[in-house]
Amino acid sequence: MKNILEALDVKKVYKIGRIEVAALQGVSIRMREGEFVSITGPSGCGKSTLLHILGGLAKPSSGQVIIDGEEISSVKDSARTDIRRRKIGFVFQRYNLLPTLTAGGNLQIAREIFGNGDRDDSHVQEVLKLLGLEKKVQHKPSEMSGGEQQRVAIARAVINKPAILLADEPTGNLDTENSHLVLSMLQELNRTFGQSIIMITHNPEAASVGNRLVEMRDGRIVPHERDVSFNRREDTIYI
Amino acid sequence: MRQSLVVANVLARPMRTLATVLAIAMEVVLILLVVGLTRGMVNENAKRLEGVGADIVLQPPGSSFLLASSTAAMPEKVAELLAGIEGVSSVSPVMVQLNVQGGVGLIYGIDLDSFTRVTRGFTFLQGRAFQAPYEMIVDDIHANSKKLQVGQVAEFLNHSFRVTGIFEHGKGSRVFLPLRTVQELTGTPGKVSLMFIKCDSPEEIPPVVARLKEKLKGYTILPMNDFVSQVSSASNNLVALRYFLNTVIFIATVVGFFAIFLAMYTAITERTREIGILKALGASKQFVLAVFVKESLLLCAAGLIGGVALSFAGKWLLGRVLPSLQVELSTDWMVKAGLIALLSSSLGGLYPALRAARQDPVDALAYE
Repeated sequence: MKNILEALDVKKVYKIGRIEVAALQGVSIRMREGEFVSITGPSGCGKSTLLHILGGLAKPSSGQVIIDGEEISSVKDSARTDIRRRKIGFVFQRYNLLPTLTAGGNLQIAREIFGNGDRDDSHVQEVLKLLGLEKKVQHKPSEMSGGEQQRVAIARAVINKPAILLADEPTGNLDTENSHLVLSMLQELNRTFGQSIIMITHNPEAASVGNRLVEMRDGRIVPHERDVSFNRREDTIYI
Repeated sequence: MRQSLVVANVLARPMRTLATVLAIAMEVVLILLVVGLTRGMVNENAKRLEGVGADIVLQPPGSSFLLASSTAAMPEKVAELLAGIEGVSSVSPVMVQLNVQGGVGLIYGIDLDSFTRVTRGFTFLQGRAFQAPYEMIVDDIHANSKKLQVGQVAEFLNHSFRVTGIFEHGKGSRVFLPLRTVQELTGTPGKVSLMFIKCDSPEEIPPVVARLKEKLKGYTILPMNDFVSQVSSASNNLVALRYFLNTVIFIATVVGFFAIFLAMYTAITERTREIGILKALGASKQFVLAVFVKESLLLCAAGLIGGVALSFAGKWLLGRVLPSLQVELSTDWMVKAGLIALLSSSLGGLYPALRAARQDPVDALAYE
């Protein structure tokens, strides 16, 4: 299995007036294709910052991030956007669907941005079926439950077959039943399509659905690992 | 499944969309109706002059093609001299006066017999020609707009005149008074503003013009067609009119600019989070820019269509309420108004769209 993601000594410092706040203090992580990694840690430990940097939404202050063989951390905004479009799918805690579009419209816009809006939509149908959304295509976000919205958000994130799916507290706004449903769907995507996933969560139960658990504290990765599945990667390094 | 983000966004806020479209429509209406009114009045005046049926127009030295602004006068007796020139069939002296009572317009003081000879007379829809000094005739459009009937009295030159007849429009002026009365009331006895001349045949026009120019040095002597085009051109090229039109167009452009600017600026502030979502999906700056520019252009197109429709409605309404006002809605000005609306909308939408395109995705996603 090839490396799908590598982060080397990633640091991020925010400046608030004259004060500098180190959100990430040298994070290194490597992930193999098809892995499902859960990242946990207390609020403010830098999980979301790390996710934004891994996803090319933000630039690190120093360090290197390589996604599917492409260096994302030192390139220009436009190149980073291009890599994000081709390689990364995002799922957020607050679903973040475009409210004026239907579920179908939200999937379509992702395809248009990717540049395959007019092509065959067999994969779209496959994803909709997997996520149980066939009957929700014409519904707007305001007409759907939180669980349904999050499933649409997951569908939108994987519709263009990204190299890696980054999920930021995907169950944070959901009740237990919908949380289980969303987590099982993420697992299903990982198993059925071999989708590489990094999921940030506070919830230990949610974290356990991944096949590797990474813990963060104070902008660093805690130097131990817990293999939470049968699928342990011996060559995965945590620093 | 296909659904346009641009259309969906525009439809998501129907009231704001409607207000913006109406503001752009007003921009178009303002341009089309003001230009249409100006052109309509100038061209309608030219048509009425043509309708007189004279072959040649003669004006005294120092006079203007804009009859309303001309104060020059010539002796009425010149008509006798003209009548003796070879090729001249008849001559009608006319005193033109600007009337500002109950509206602005030109009054013709005419000698009924000579005017009838030159113009082949009026077609009366009601009543008859004037016979007494304080009688008058008006055309059907003036009668309609002022709700005048035969037998009623109207004020002109600070005196009361009884309407004796209503004639079919298109004979130079909308209001005709006896020449002697106008001369007396304006303190210019024996003076007239212009002469309408009828030739024996159309072929006689150029030689008659040449003969007149030889005899009356310094006078303005033009075949009617040339005179009409000079009147139209002089009216259209009036500096004050050009300033007025340019000012109206400028105001209209500013209205359109701010309508789009405010609508798009508000939309972008409201949709900051959505911009973050698009960026998280990998949308480039150009993609985000295009979404908002397309929205501006869609609003502009709707406003343009609405504006043209409202202009036609305005023209119809003005025709009903003020029949004397002629509005000419021309295709070339519809295109110009469209381009002006497009320019103001593009400029108005550009800054907010650029601002949206430059949004930081993380900040945008965190926006509450």
